[in-house]
Amino acid sequence: MNIKIWILSALVVLVLVVTSVAIARERSEDLVTVYSSRKEHLIKPLFESFTKDTGIQVTYLTGKGGALIERLKLEGKNTNADMFMTVDAGNLWYAATQDLFQAVQTQTLENNIPSHLRDSKGLWTGLSVRARTIVYSTERVNPVDLSTYENLADMKWAGRLCLRTSKKIYTKSLVASMIYHHGINKTGDIISGWVNNLAATPNAKDSHIMNAIVSGQCDIGLINTYYFARLITKNPNVPLKLFWANQDTTGVHVNISGAGVTKYATNVKGAIKLLEWLSSTKAQAIYASLNKEYPANQNVASDEVVSSWGSFKQDKMNLEQTGILQADAVRLMQTKGYR
Amino acid sequence: MEKNCLKSKVWISVLALLVAMPIFVVAASWLFPERELWAHFYAILLPNLISATLILLIGVGVGVTFLGTILAYLVVMVEFPGRQWLEWALFLPFAVPAYVLAFVYLGVFDYSGYVQVWMREVLGLSGFDIRTGSWAIILTFVLVFYPYVYMMTRASFKRQKVNIIEAGRLLGTGPLRTFLKISLPLARPAAAAGLLVTLMEILADFGVVSLFNFDTFTTAIYSAWGDFRSIEVAAQLASLLVLVAFFLIYFEKKARGQAKYYSNDVANKKPYRAFGVMGWLISIFIFSVFMLAFAMPMLQLIIWGWTYSGKEWSVKYIDLIISTLILTVSATLITVSIATILALPNHCKKNSSWLKSVINIATLGYALPGSIMAVGLLYGINQLSAVSIYFGGQSINQVIFGSISLLLFAYISRFMAIGYNSIKASAEQIKPMFTQSARLLGVSRLRLIWQIYLPMMTPGILAGGLLVAVDVIKELPATYLLRPFGWDTLAIQVYELSAEGLFERAAIPALIMVLFGSVLMIIFQYLDKKS
Repeated sequence: MNIKIWILSALVVLVLVVTSVAIARERSEDLVTVYSSRKEHLIKPLFESFTKDTGIQVTYLTGKGGALIERLKLEGKNTNADMFMTVDAGNLWYAATQDLFQAVQTQTLENNIPSHLRDSKGLWTGLSVRARTIVYSTERVNPVDLSTYENLADMKWAGRLCLRTSKKIYTKSLVASMIYHHGINKTGDIISGWVNNLAATPNAKDSHIMNAIVSGQCDIGLINTYYFARLITKNPNVPLKLFWANQDTTGVHVNISGAGVTKYATNVKGAIKLLEWLSSTKAQAIYASLNKEYPANQNVASDEVVSSWGSFKQDKMNLEQTGILQADAVRLMQTKGYR
Repeated sequence: MEKNCLKSKVWISVLALLVAMPIFVVAASWLFPERELWAHFYAILLPNLISATLILLIGVGVGVTFLGTILAYLVVMVEFPGRQWLEWALFLPFAVPAYVLAFVYLGVFDYSGYVQVWMREVLGLSGFDIRTGSWAIILTFVLVFYPYVYMMTRASFKRQKVNIIEAGRLLGTGPLRTFLKISLPLARPAAAAGLLVTLMEILADFGVVSLFNFDTFTTAIYSAWGDFRSIEVAAQLASLLVLVAFFLIYFEKKARGQAKYYSNDVANKKPYRAFGVMGWLISIFIFSVFMLAFAMPMLQLIIWGWTYSGKEWSVKYIDLIISTLILTVSATLITVSIATILALPNHCKKNSSWLKSVINIATLGYALPGSIMAVGLLYGINQLSAVSIYFGGQSINQVIFGSISLLLFAYISRFMAIGYNSIKASAEQIKPMFTQSARLLGVSRLRLIWQIYLPMMTPGILAGGLLVAVDVIKELPATYLLRPFGWDTLAIQVYELSAEGLFERAAIPALIMVLFGSVLMIIFQYLDKKS
């Protein structure tokens, strides 16, 4: 009896391994393959719409940005990926330094996406813009007291501040931008001030920050605006509001999600077509409504909820800088005890 | 005889070293030293991280040992109301992934969770941050990992039950003294085996510690990789974890006699009876452990998932479930087969410290964070490809990256410890006498294996297989990096939704995952009873 089970098991294993190894790669003109660190539920509707418009199929593999970059590097010329899509300019910049992209410069992309959201050599293109700014309790904070990211280091916020962990890329990029504007020393002082003002251990997620403010654990925090959009859509009476930071100085810190055509893409034509389509008004409108981000294409209006917060001055720092300065930012935060 | 041994030595070594391949690749990272980054880590991060990791290991270690052993003792040795179903209910928390439990606890017990809101509004107490300090994360880990110790010590108590009662009667001691003086010392090897697995799990954990923002050694590994883009330093740090695991295994060997995950119940009568209030107190205690570790988190997931079930559920889930099942079944079968070959009684093994250490190395993968193991594998395969091309062959990357074989490899390397420990314990039950008499009768080794060893090892093989299967279902980081197109699993779905803050939707795949794990644990129970 036992022996039979064993033989059966061995056979099943054999069959499974053989079939899995035998799966050959499909390659065709009508198929674009994307590696994406944007999550499936955010990209799937876009790709489905693209297929409907063009007849070109899209397959995709989601993963964490750093891990996918490592996989791309190791796969080298054998990669399946025609396009790499990720969030954060730092990740795009790093992928570019690892020689994973090929330059793509087309009239359509130039018309659709402003130049400060594109790589100067055309290695990657920004497709959506996210803003990181101050969120505050309407019950316990007078907006008159609010001004800048830097001001959150002020003593008056002692025990009232909630921040996201320094391990998260959004925090790293924000601090990188501060290093760019103020230099290491001054930024170090600001971070020390933040850490002293913390009401709780830095949170793992932006949504936890908003929960903490609503429940009274802290009064102010820093978040990406689309998390706020989601919360306010679900619960319109939530006693929270956004404040546009640094309007009299450097402007609100913005970052992008974007994509580039991989260096060893087999379907370059298809990948470029997809990239151009993603920058089009139709796709950008889907971007805006799906994740409540700001469209990268200036001809597309933001989502209704998002535009109700009004317009704001953006930090125009070249986004490459976030990539270049990110390691310094982490080093600084670790030294100052910002977990 | 000698010649025979050479052959089996070669076979076992090749198999074990193949399983350990990612570990060697990770260790090879030391060929690429990066002094500057190490200096920063050494000065700023490591002192705190090492002490925090030690606190976690000690806290959770003590916690699971006590909780697991006490629960097992009560369930085996004492009769109290509800004992029968609590005995198996205590296995279920093993089906809940640690990160899911951590997630629910933060939602329920942190400052903004309703427990604290109620405490503030109704009781007028002041709130607190459960992520400050280490008690909350220790408690979470204890509730996730006590089943390892519980399983092992429960089996051990069952085997010794009759002896323990007799010894206790002779000495005229009551249940408490019998526990302290006789049972506990006897259960030590079993508890040590469960503890070892727990400690390795904690060393490799990243999900729970990042939710609590509690910095441990793995934080440094991910910082090296994610923040400083140095996969080399990440691998170097990870190899230190493996070294720690190696020492842990060494100490465990010293503490260990025979420990098993499954039981051979000698007599089904419970020796001690707890009547009246005492009995109910015991029931309430065990029931609250079950509530906290399983029932309450499940209820919370159901509440979260309820309103979104219509929106989140789609045909896609059929795919997710099928992928999860295929990966689980194939990884389990292969892992268990290899573990069985490594664990088979073999006279060559007895006198060969080489074979013993090679096999130990094959089980070290459990202490490696899944994503580091995955990258190690990618590098390893890439090197093999280079060798193959050098000798005029073809690149194997193309075949391997496009299939699930790489992922299966990762599971096997990572979960070998779980399968092997369980199977080895059953192999050690086989008395040398059998082998000797069989040899005298001129029975071939193959027949010996087929007709004596495998049937006797079956309970251990089944137990090991089920534990590996539950672990594969829960696995996230290696799956996320190594899966080919179209092989998303339930764990990945949970991660992708919760990473974007969509907890209500993430509850649905999480529940399905726990359901599968629970079914496996129930099968485990059933087989355990039957054997």
